[in-house]
Amino acid sequence: MASSGEQQHGGGHHAGMWVFPVAERVTAEVTGRTFAFPSGYKLALGVAGILTVLGVIGFIIKLTSSGFGSPGPWGYYAGIFSFIFMATGAAPLVAVAFRFTKSHWRRPLSRVSELFALVGVVNVILFIPLMLALPPILNPAAQGTELEVRRTLWFEVPIGAPHWWDFLGLVGLAVCSLAILWLSAMPDMAQARSSATGFRRALYGLLAGSWYGSKRQWIHQKAGLAMLGAFYFMLLVFVQFVFITEYAMSMVPGWKDSVLPPMYTVMSFQTALSLILVIMFVMRRWGGYAEYIGVSPFWSASKILLGLTLLWTYHLFAFFITYWYGRLEFEQNIIRYLFTEPYLVLFLGNFLFSFVTPFLLLIWNPLRKSDWGPTLAGCFALLGAFLFNIRTFTAAFNTGDHYEFALSRVPAAVLPDFGDILIILGGLGLAALVYLLAAKLIPNMSIWEVKEGAKYQKMDTLMKADYLVLAKPE
Amino acid sequence: MARRPILGLFDSANSAADAGDALRQAGIPDTDVDFLTDAPYPEGAFGEREEKHRLYIFPFIGGLLGLTTGILLTSMTQVAYPLVTGGKPILSLPPMAVVTYEGTMLGAILFTVLGIIFESRLPKLKAGLYDKRITEGYIGVLVNTEETQHGQVETALGQSGAVEVKRESGQ
Repeated sequence: MASSGEQQHGGGHHAGMWVFPVAERVTAEVTGRTFAFPSGYKLALGVAGILTVLGVIGFIIKLTSSGFGSPGPWGYYAGIFSFIFMATGAAPLVAVAFRFTKSHWRRPLSRVSELFALVGVVNVILFIPLMLALPPILNPAAQGTELEVRRTLWFEVPIGAPHWWDFLGLVGLAVCSLAILWLSAMPDMAQARSSATGFRRALYGLLAGSWYGSKRQWIHQKAGLAMLGAFYFMLLVFVQFVFITEYAMSMVPGWKDSVLPPMYTVMSFQTALSLILVIMFVMRRWGGYAEYIGVSPFWSASKILLGLTLLWTYHLFAFFITYWYGRLEFEQNIIRYLFTEPYLVLFLGNFLFSFVTPFLLLIWNPLRKSDWGPTLAGCFALLGAFLFNIRTFTAAFNTGDHYEFALSRVPAAVLPDFGDILIILGGLGLAALVYLLAAKLIPNMSIWEVKEGAKYQKMDTLMKADYLVLAKPE
Repeated sequence: MARRPILGLFDSANSAADAGDALRQAGIPDTDVDFLTDAPYPEGAFGEREEKHRLYIFPFIGGLLGLTTGILLTSMTQVAYPLVTGGKPILSLPPMAVVTYEGTMLGAILFTVLGIIFESRLPKLKAGLYDKRITEGYIGVLVNTEETQHGQVETALGQSGAVEVKRESGQ
């Protein structure tokens, strides 16, 4: 069950690739690190806190100077919300997806991704101003060539559409991801409750007081995680589809595109995986988790990241070529507006960081087989996603007349004002703050999964080489 | 006679599996024996009975309720406000899909969470018999049986290599 010291980091040319945590020590080590507050962590918390305060100031500036009368001033807010939602909404899915595939390398990243469930609550709160900024479906001043209703997904307009149905979808996602986190962390909280003190002890007692690790509980936990994981995936894709359609596409007159929602979803997978790689890199290098996170998760995830990068580019091309061949004036205007004229710089940056740089990095095998290579590619992908969201939503919120039949002109680019910059910084700060606090509240490594993995993996020698021996229990 | 728990603590999975066999030979039914572990073990690792779950019933019922609510809400809205849109029939399925899908998902998720709480018997207000060493890799063999059988159980656990046998305090 336990591994010997010399197996800690593998051996030979595989050194550092695989790590074999000692099962008996996992609970004490992980809870010890979770409860510790090193100075670097305090600094990160402080910076995130300051950024959050700046964001609140920015929001107040925006609210008092612009109100919710017109969506235009909230374009950057929508962009940063979408970026946070894109990355953190899809993040719990990373744990779910790789748990489905029963891969062993995913064990260290499970909790890193599940902790984003708490940021899901932030997404719900951040979404509320967007509900107020969205123009009504019925055109208040319909006349001439304008439409009586804004183009929208909600053909028959059921009660509360679109605002409350969008909101309910986000609440559903938050509830589902919190349930996944609770169910997954319950054994770990139960194991950690004896060493926890104060608030943590009370919290663990409340959330995991009845967990003893009986056969019945493990079976229901496994089945529950599988079901909730499947529902989370099904709901996430739906909410992303509704959000990008209602808050981007329907805001640009004439923009009717079936490729945009899947492109948004693929990009959210790419962004979420990138974010998790970055966090794992930090934990491995500076968080004291080198004996828990080998290079193997980076290597394995890098191949998926490469696939997602290519898939995003395919969708982008499919979207672009459809409109590029469009013969109508408004189709050309949409291409000019979103790609080649006012937002050209953002588009080029988006393309460079979402495709070119990750692709060039990840096709190189030695780089994939390192911890920093996929992380660097992930950093670029995050930057690309940020530019994508800013470009798309700022453009969508600033088309002017949202009830026009089709885009008859190419509006000018809108640069961020002081309030927008504060809002962007604050949004990022708030998400980071909540995540950093969550990682100190709940064991930030899935203890039971790491222990389970320790039973099924070891290094062995065949002739003169070392091999990783993996067992599959089912 | 009251049924009370007794816990045998083992430092190896093999000894715990032996204890399962010994208890069976001593006439303790499988349903009275549970294995407490810090991580999931493969099915049948301790020679224990096969556990079935019926958790799938909960999302099925929840999904069905959500679907019904979604269909009722959208169809009643369409009937209450009979506006012809794009020349399509007043009652048509595609516009109903979005709300019914969301309703189905939300119903299924909520009922799954309720199902997990109910089926895992959570929360349990009375603390059960446990030992902290289980979190360090020890295996607990928990036997819930008549007090008259406790001597027999203790012997079976001890002979199988239990490092400690615990009873509820006050016994």
